[in-house]
Amino acid sequence: MYLETKNLCKYFGGLKAVDRVDFQVREGQLKSIIGPNGAGKTTFFNLLCGLYPPTSGKIHFLGNDITDKKMNQISQVGITKTFQITHVFPRLSVFENVRISAQSRKSSFNFWKKADDFSEINERTVEILEQVKLSDRKDRLASTLSHGDRKYLEIGIALSTNPKLLLLDEPTAGMSPAETVLAMKLIRDLRDRLNLTILLVEHDMNVVMNISDEVVCLNEGQVLACGSPQEISCNEVVQRVYLGGPKEC
Amino acid sequence: MELTLTLIITQILFGLALGAVYIMMASGLTIIFGLLDVVNFAHGTFYMLGAFAAYIVISLFGNFWLGLPCAIILVGLIGWMTESLLIKPLYGKDPLYPLLLTFGFSIAVTDLMRWIFGTIPKVIELPKGFAGSFMSAGIFIPKYRVFIICLTIAVLLFLWFFFKKTNLGMIIRAATRDSLMVRTLGINVPRIWTFGFALGVGLAGLGGAVNSSIVAAVPDMGVEMTVECFVVVVIGGLGSLGGAILGGLIIGQVISFVSLFASDWSNVAIFLTMFFILLVRTRGLFGEAGRL
Amino acid sequence: MKNDLRPKVQRGAGNRTVWLALLVCIVLPFVISIPLATEIMIFGLFALAFNLLLGYTGVLSFGHAAYFGVGSYACGMAIRYAGASIWTSLLISIALGSLLAAIVGALAIKKRGVYFAMISMAVGQMFYFLALSPLKRWTGGEDGLKFIPRLKLEFPFFVDLGSPYPLYFFVYIIVGISILVIWRILNSPFGRLLQAIRENEERTIASGYNVTMAKFVSLVFSGFFSALAGGLFTIYLGYGPLHSLYWLTSGTILLMTILGGMHTFIGPVVGVAVFLYVQNQFSRYIERWELLVGILFISLVLIFPDGIVGTIKNKYLERKADDTSPETEPELNAKTETEG
Repeated sequence: MYLETKNLCKYFGGLKAVDRVDFQVREGQLKSIIGPNGAGKTTFFNLLCGLYPPTSGKIHFLGNDITDKKMNQISQVGITKTFQITHVFPRLSVFENVRISAQSRKSSFNFWKKADDFSEINERTVEILEQVKLSDRKDRLASTLSHGDRKYLEIGIALSTNPKLLLLDEPTAGMSPAETVLAMKLIRDLRDRLNLTILLVEHDMNVVMNISDEVVCLNEGQVLACGSPQEISCNEVVQRVYLGGPKEC
Repeated sequence: MELTLTLIITQILFGLALGAVYIMMASGLTIIFGLLDVVNFAHGTFYMLGAFAAYIVISLFGNFWLGLPCAIILVGLIGWMTESLLIKPLYGKDPLYPLLLTFGFSIAVTDLMRWIFGTIPKVIELPKGFAGSFMSAGIFIPKYRVFIICLTIAVLLFLWFFFKKTNLGMIIRAATRDSLMVRTLGINVPRIWTFGFALGVGLAGLGGAVNSSIVAAVPDMGVEMTVECFVVVVIGGLGSLGGAILGGLIIGQVISFVSLFASDWSNVAIFLTMFFILLVRTRGLFGEAGRL
Repeated sequence: MKNDLRPKVQRGAGNRTVWLALLVCIVLPFVISIPLATEIMIFGLFALAFNLLLGYTGVLSFGHAAYFGVGSYACGMAIRYAGASIWTSLLISIALGSLLAAIVGALAIKKRGVYFAMISMAVGQMFYFLALSPLKRWTGGEDGLKFIPRLKLEFPFFVDLGSPYPLYFFVYIIVGISILVIWRILNSPFGRLLQAIRENEERTIASGYNVTMAKFVSLVFSGFFSALAGGLFTIYLGYGPLHSLYWLTSGTILLMTILGGMHTFIGPVVGVAVFLYVQNQFSRYIERWELLVGILFISLVLIFPDGIVGTIKNKYLERKADDTSPETEPELNAKTETEG
């Protein structure tokens, strides 16, 4: 099992944001997490990437217990998250945004060499910018990018850390239909060409149905149902709680 | 010097009186921070302005009881203008800027006051009723100090009542947590912020007015007070009124006892206390859930 | 095309700016008064050290005079009480300044910015009070550390540091080397990391960096060079004034840094030069210098936060901007706020 959580809980006072979640991801999977607002999806992600310490339960990744690791340690171990609301380096160029993130894989307590002289890091950055289609905008300040471009930059920054497991938090939120199609293609490409294992939180059911191998539905912090996209969309409980009523199956 | 029980109790009472002023000041700072997310680096300056306001009013009208409320109102007004004109334009920008602005403000206003009033300390005379001390079983405490303690308790009760029971108070508490939400209810949130600032510095002004009979009013009294407030708030945890109270109490006692044994070190002692507490409990005693 | 992978937009000083500044400083003492030139060099170094923390790492310290003052007193005390040589005394300054920074860092660097700002101010005040009263016997209290014996450099060759020109060039060389070192540091991977922290600390952690350690190291570097400036200050003055620990010194260095431009490399030095020059020329006519300083501060923050060099740089970049792609859409405020 690539990633596994056992009985994972996160309570904020009386609020059970994540409640006894058992969750598995296999290597190479593209798995989506859906559910209504407040279901605990983003909190779950935040537990996985180390932003919050869990109240109880365990998280295992590649056989190692990562429950108590801090966010930067988890990133080094291979799990990287994109932020739901884009979280970039505003006054740095697009190029530098990705480059500085890529630099994290080498020791940065180097005070003497010029940062721009590390050719492997530079090449990797160029590669990634091409993948996320931002090469022609590499010198722009991140704060001047359009919303859709910023989402791509988010993904680019995440990719630059060579993740083994990529957590995408609502990557298509706010995108136009055309942008969404491109984003879907990109995500699928990432899994197919780069062999990335991907976890996705999404509200756009079109995206979820089209690209996922497996879908999990959360509700009120608990796992409601898990299965193939087809199975989930036909699941009565899921339909009631999230999909807006019974559907043809 | 013999450490008798009466001496200890006397010092404790004295420390309470000292702590009382710090509690008042720190409460004001906490309100401003809680509401506006601004650390008021000019807090001590408003304290100083309160001292001078009281001095002026009392000198003009000869009435001590007029001086205190006038100090609060005058300083509150100055605070109102300051926030509206100088701090408001900075919201939404780098959170560094309001800190820098209030810092610059303190430098400018301190020098302005030096210019207007000179550097000779101005003393306010206490009304006759406050002369002398209460004595009992060898313990004595000046009557005025008791007054300060009582006044602070009254102020804290007022604040508690205001924030818990009045409409405006509840609105302010809501705005502290979710200003966007409050705005959508049609409430003028920027006006609330201005009010909060005025209230916070008004408390500082009251502290200055009250203290000016003990410590003479001098333009430079502000800066030291600002730093001391910070120490109180770091010890108690920024953002919590309970923390401000606890921090104030601790600092009051520290100064009281250190002055007794090693008066040379009384200024430094509070900083050493701060470092010690930082070492032991990294969030201060009442810590606020740090965001990062 | 693929050969030049370096971005066109250079963040951090270009080569040219730094060498130009150093060149200008060689002729400075012949253009303005020597004491003024020397002070500009010393405070310029202090400002650069300060900006390492503020402009590059994004950490505001309100009590930086502590490192400067400790460096100043340490140097003076070493010379006066231990008869140490100039080099040894400066080394002691640096060591103590760095140590103090390390202690403050260990206690406070993990905290939110406002806490750190307050704690740093408290540190500054504490040392001021220490020097003023309890440690009066060694520090000279209000009068400062006086009676420092005649200063001369023995090694590598004899220099009479009591004379203005030799003193200036001694300071110039040390400051010049420091500037180059700081510049090198800021252009290194570490320097870039600091800027990322300033821009978005959480994102930097998410990318796998140990941000606390980076901030800590940045603070120690800052303390290192601030203390060096302090030591040079004592050598320049021939005594160690209490004022070096005073909160206004912390405030002034902050002001000068912002005046020059805290998001640029050489800005702080320019700010120092402009400020000290104006102070030198006009403080005779203007009685209320502090009032002016305060007003200047307020005006800068409200109107001119990029400072002199910052504003120039922005104008230059605006004109150079070749990126006028038509797809620059206005910000789509399409945040779907979900609790997820």
